[in-house]
Amino acid sequence: MDALLDFARGPLFRFSFAILVLGLLRILILDIWGIIEALRKTDDKKIPWKLVSIRTLEWFVPVRKVFSNRPIYSSLSILFHVGLLLVPIFLYAHISLWKGTVGFGWPALPKLWADILTLLAIGTALALFTGRIISKTSSFLSRKQDYLWPLILVIPFLTGFICANAGVSPVLYRICMLTHILSAEIIFVLIPFTKIAHCIIMPLSQLVATIAWKFPPETDEAVCTTLNKKGAPV
Amino acid sequence: MKTAQITPEERERAFASAKKPEVIDKQKLKVRYHVEDYNVADRPRQFLEAFSAILKHSNYRMALDHFIRMSAKCSRCATTCQVYQATGDPKDIPCFRSELLLSVYRRHFTLGGMLKGRLLGNGYLTDEKIEEMAESFWNCTACRRCTMECPSGIDHGLVTHLGRYILSELGIAPRALVVSTREQLEGATGNTSAIPVPALIDTLEFLEEDIKEELSVEVKFPMDVENAEYVFFPAVSDFLMEAETLMGIVAVFTVTGDSWTTGTGYFDGINYGLFYSDRMLERVVKKVDAETRRLKGKKILIGECGHASRSAKYYIPVYCGGDKALPVINIMEYTHRVWKEGRLKLDPNAIMEPVAYHDPCNIARQKWIIEKPRELLKAFCPNYVEMTPNRDQNVCCGGGGGTVSIDEVRAYRTGVGGKLKADQIRASGCKYLVAPCANCKKQLRELVEDQGIDVEVVGLHDLIYKAIIWDEKFKVSSSPAEEIPQKQEDK
Repeated sequence: MDALLDFARGPLFRFSFAILVLGLLRILILDIWGIIEALRKTDDKKIPWKLVSIRTLEWFVPVRKVFSNRPIYSSLSILFHVGLLLVPIFLYAHISLWKGTVGFGWPALPKLWADILTLLAIGTALALFTGRIISKTSSFLSRKQDYLWPLILVIPFLTGFICANAGVSPVLYRICMLTHILSAEIIFVLIPFTKIAHCIIMPLSQLVATIAWKFPPETDEAVCTTLNKKGAPV
Repeated sequence: MKTAQITPEERERAFASAKKPEVIDKQKLKVRYHVEDYNVADRPRQFLEAFSAILKHSNYRMALDHFIRMSAKCSRCATTCQVYQATGDPKDIPCFRSELLLSVYRRHFTLGGMLKGRLLGNGYLTDEKIEEMAESFWNCTACRRCTMECPSGIDHGLVTHLGRYILSELGIAPRALVVSTREQLEGATGNTSAIPVPALIDTLEFLEEDIKEELSVEVKFPMDVENAEYVFFPAVSDFLMEAETLMGIVAVFTVTGDSWTTGTGYFDGINYGLFYSDRMLERVVKKVDAETRRLKGKKILIGECGHASRSAKYYIPVYCGGDKALPVINIMEYTHRVWKEGRLKLDPNAIMEPVAYHDPCNIARQKWIIEKPRELLKAFCPNYVEMTPNRDQNVCCGGGGGTVSIDEVRAYRTGVGGKLKADQIRASGCKYLVAPCANCKKQLRELVEDQGIDVEVVGLHDLIYKAIIWDEKFKVSSSPAEEIPQKQEDK
C-alpha cells in the first residue's frame, strides 16, 4: 500500500500533472494560434476591445448574470467553482507538498475555511448533478460527461476531507488518501480532453466569437473553385 | 420577461405546412419553407464537401474548435430563447440547435472524432440529420440573444449562420431569399424587389410632389450625383412599402442641405446573404461598394434597416478594403448628429401618443446604435415608453434572420417567433411602435395584426417627418392649391 501511495504521489502525479499542463498549454496555444490566423486572414482587423472586455469580465464577475437567468443553478455553479478552485490551490497540505518539491509556497487558507469550502464544493456538485437530472432542458442536452463530471470531482474533495478531519484507522486513511490522489490524477489527465478545458480558454470566448464573424476576403471565388461551382448561377 | 407556452391548437396553426406531399417526397425535405429543386442524391457527402470547402476558406474552424471544447450544456440559453419559450420543445434550445452542427464537426473534422467514429463505426452524417438541421436552423430568428446568456461564450447565432450557409451549398435555402438574391445579383433590375430604374424615379418624383402638396416644401431625391457626401442605400422594399420613412429622410436632408444621392446603378441595401450564404453576402456588399465608388461618394449611408446596416457596417471592411474601406453609417446616426448640431429642429410636442422604440437585433446586439434614436424620440414624444428588456438585450421581432421574407411561415413567425414580442408590445401600452428596420416593420405589422394588438408600427423617420419644424425659407412661394387652378386657367 505504501509503495502504491509513493508511486501515486511521485511518478504518477508528475505524469498526470504534466499531461494537465501540456494538454492545457496545447489547447491555449491552438486557440491563440487560431485567433492570430483568423486575424491575419481577414482584412477587418479592428476589434471592439471595450465590448469584448466587458462581456468577458461579466462572466468572471457574474454579479449581473446570476439572478437574470436560472438563479438557483447559477448561484450553485458559482459557489461550486469557488470551492473547486480555492481548495486545491490554497490548502495548507497541498502548499506544503509544493514547498517540499519546488522550494516555494504561497499563503494558505485557514483550516476552517478550507473545510467549509470543501463541503461547499461537495454539496454544490451533488446539487448540480441532481439539478441536471431534474431539469427538463439540462437533461435533454446532457451528454455522459456532463453527468459524470460533478460526481468525479466530488471524489477527491470527499476523500481529502475524510483524511484531514476524521479520526480514521491508518488503513482507511491510506485507502482514502490513495483514492484522493488517484482520482485527482484521473481528473488531471481528463481535463484537457473534455469540457473542463474551459478552465484555460474561457477568457478567450468573447474574442473568438467576435473575430469569427470577420471573414476572409474573396471567399466567394475560393469556395466556388473548391466546389466546382465557378460561373454557376445564384 | 417570459411568454407562455403555446397551446396544442396554436401549435397546429403555427406549424401548419402548405407544401404538397409530392414536393416533400421529391425534395426529401419536410421543412415548411419552399425550396427550389436541388440534387437530392447523396446529401451527406455533398454536405461534408461543402462544409470542408467552407472551413478551408473561412475562419469558422477557429470558432468551432473553441466551441466544442467549451460547451458545458448548462441550458441557460433555453430560458432566454423566445422560440423555445413559446414551443417548449427542447429541440428549440439554442445549445441543442448548435450541437446539430457541432457534432458533425466533431465527428468528421477533428482527429479525435474521426478516430472514435471509425472505431465505434457510428456517428456518420445521415440524411435525417440534414433534414433536422434544415428545419432547425430556419426555426431560429438569428437574434443572438442566447449568445449573451451563454457562460461559455458560444455564439449560437454564428453556428446557425454557418449551418444555413452549408445547407445553401446543397441548394437547401428558402426559395424566397434565393429568388430575390438572384434578381439582385443577376436579374435585369439588380435589386431584390425587382424595381426598374424608371419606376424608382417615378416613385421618388411622386413622393416629392406629395411632400410639396402636404407641406408646401420643395424637396429633392438627388439621383446619380457625383462626389456626394453620402450615397444612400435603403432596403429597396422601402421604395414600395415605406414611403413615409423615405419622406422623413428626404425632409431631414432638405433641412440640412448636406449632399447625398441615390445611384441608379444600384440602390438596394438588402443583403440576404447575411442570412443564408457568405458567398452572396460578399457579392452584394461588393455591389454597394462599387456603386458608391462609381459615384465617387464619400460615405455609404444605409437607411432604416437592421440587417442592411449590419451587413454594410461589418462586411464592407471585410470584403472591400479593410482600413481603406469606405465609412458606413446608418441614417439614424446622421439624423441624430444634425439634430445635436442644432441643424434640425423638432417640435417637442409633435407626437402626444405613447411611443415605444424597438431595437433591431442587427443594430443593437453589438451595442452599435442604441441611445441615439431614443434621444431623438424623447425630443418630440413626451410620452415615450420603454419595452423591457431593451437595448442590447432586446427581444427580437420574431422575423429575424431572413424569416420575415418567407411568407409561407407567417403563422410560425407571428404565433411562435414573435409571441414574446407581442406580450412586450401589449405591456408597454404604446400607440406607436417605432422600428427602424424594414424587416422588423413588416414582421411587427403582421404580428400586431395576427395577435390583435392596436398599435401602429412606423419607422423613426416617419415620426421625424411629422415633428420637423420647417424654417420659412423652405416654404415654396405659392401653395400647390393656388398653382393648380392657375395651370388650368393657362390651358
